[in-house]
Amino acid sequence: MDFAWSDQQRELLDAVGRFASQQLNYNVIENDRDGVFNHDAWKKCGDFGIHGLPVPTEYGGLGMDPLTTVAALERLGYACKDNGLLFSINAHMWTAIIPILANGTEAQKKKYLPGLCNGTLIGGNAMSEPNSGSDAFSLSTTAVKKGSKYILNGSKIFVTNGPIADLLVVFVTMDKARGADGLCAFVVEKDSPGLDVSKKIEKMGVRTSPMAEVFFADCEVPEENLLGKEGAGSFMFTKSMTWERGCILASAVGSMQRLLETSIRYAKERRQGGQSIGKFQRVADKIVNMKLRVQSARHMLYHCAWLRGQREPVYMEAAMAKLHISDCWVKCCEDAIQIRGGYGYMVEYEVERELRDAIGSRLYSGTSEIQRSIIASWLGV
Amino acid sequence: MTRGQSVEKILVPFKSVPDPYAGAAASTSKSVINPFDEIAIEEALRIRERGEAAEIVGVTIGAPAVDEQIRAALAMGVDRAIRIDDSRALDPYAVARILRALVEKEAPQVVIMGKQAVDDDSNQVGQMLAGLLGWPQATFVSKIEFLDNKTRARCTRETDGGLEVVAIDLPSIITTDLRLNEPRYVSLPGLMKARRKSIEVLTCEQLGVTVRPMTTTLSTSSPTRRAAGTRVGSVEELMAKLKQEAKVL
Repeated sequence: MDFAWSDQQRELLDAVGRFASQQLNYNVIENDRDGVFNHDAWKKCGDFGIHGLPVPTEYGGLGMDPLTTVAALERLGYACKDNGLLFSINAHMWTAIIPILANGTEAQKKKYLPGLCNGTLIGGNAMSEPNSGSDAFSLSTTAVKKGSKYILNGSKIFVTNGPIADLLVVFVTMDKARGADGLCAFVVEKDSPGLDVSKKIEKMGVRTSPMAEVFFADCEVPEENLLGKEGAGSFMFTKSMTWERGCILASAVGSMQRLLETSIRYAKERRQGGQSIGKFQRVADKIVNMKLRVQSARHMLYHCAWLRGQREPVYMEAAMAKLHISDCWVKCCEDAIQIRGGYGYMVEYEVERELRDAIGSRLYSGTSEIQRSIIASWLGV
Repeated sequence: MTRGQSVEKILVPFKSVPDPYAGAAASTSKSVINPFDEIAIEEALRIRERGEAAEIVGVTIGAPAVDEQIRAALAMGVDRAIRIDDSRALDPYAVARILRALVEKEAPQVVIMGKQAVDDDSNQVGQMLAGLLGWPQATFVSKIEFLDNKTRARCTRETDGGLEVVAIDLPSIITTDLRLNEPRYVSLPGLMKARRKSIEVLTCEQLGVTVRPMTTTLSTSSPTRRAAGTRVGSVEELMAKLKQEAKVL
């Protein structure tokens, strides 16, 4: 077992850290307050090469293995404080780029991936519906084949990047009676006739990542935009969801590491009762707990990515990583606030925002309860 | 020397220095490209991107450890790089003599370099190199334009009194001021491309130069720590201390 990074990996990770700390951390408090997406930072991430990390070079990516990819995203999360920007990047990578890369035709990959990799195209994913959340395959949005087109009708909710997306990977049913076997997916471009995107939905956290509802009213999609085969939707969704679960919280591990380091610094500098508050065991304990969480979260992240690199199935590992990292992240944020006392509750100290940003991680890409169901079913109970 | 539509070659000498932004508390001494030299690299890249130069060659002097900064320069977009293998602490005159030999070998039309290195602040190599070569020089430059079918350069210099605009014949030496540009960051695709670029290693011997350090550093020390302040109880006590202890009143 080798836990060391190669020189090339280290060089790449250092470059990510330097780039993110110098280029992405401005107006974060204001943009969070006003719910503003940082287009300029998005563009920089595209030019820098973040979006295309796991995409083969022939489609404009960097062709990195899964482990190097999550390590780079972890470093990004450590050095960039705009969790909403990172959430938009993650949605773009795992729910638009990966499904197209894994299931797209050569023509679809050539058409969309280079733009998605360099950030000139923004991708999103439309799966959840008002009445279809954890029961993911009970979709009501329909597609009917008509000549050389498919006609989509219905609506989607919680569409990350919805207000800014150039294209969406949309899951629909072609036959509700067939349940999961009736699903299929499309790449829907933003100016498709009959597609309507709501105004931005206000959220508790990751407020710099815009989210919308999407409506399809006899929305016309050319047949060449069918992703994979008719009826293969649930299979594609499960596959890309496994990628998503295993990777989407890589940046959260970086955020936890940053919270740990700033909390240690605060505990050493802040003096009460004639000593650093870190000398109080109840404060030190919180820091020890933070350290244990970062370490265990990181190991689960890396192990899942390493397994994927070995082409092993990771359905259970991805669910475990998602469940554990999200829980660790929220608890680390709570501890970071508690260590700072009243200051932690103040916007200026930038930890209350982290808590608001972290809480969503227990909900998106399958709630913690769903992750537990998946793990339980893989354990045979 | 033929003059085409573009300058054939720009040579950018750069120095590896301790990261000036690392802060005093940094436990590891990480090195970076001297920020003024990074500006020189950026300017050369912009000139090439405007179609006014064909090739950019980077050069630095140092032990194999500086390859990290060379790779950073290559990742920014420098076409090829040369390391003069010499790990001694050389003074500006020695560096200028080595660079003269390299300039004679590479025959660039323009040498762009930082006006000074942030570690020793000597601000001499560019001027000495110009003197040794007998080339014109423009120092502390904040703007570069080429004139007359790339036979001359018009440089805006930052001086204490304001801006001075000079025109110099090529080949020439240009040293960069802080306000010339803002260097780009190294991108991941750039980093990948840099891995395929080669670093040529030369020795002073191969260049036919014998240099020896002429300056010996006897000691270095940190500024003395200021004593902690004291709190006084009243304005009267403060006045008394200023008069009797500090003797400033």
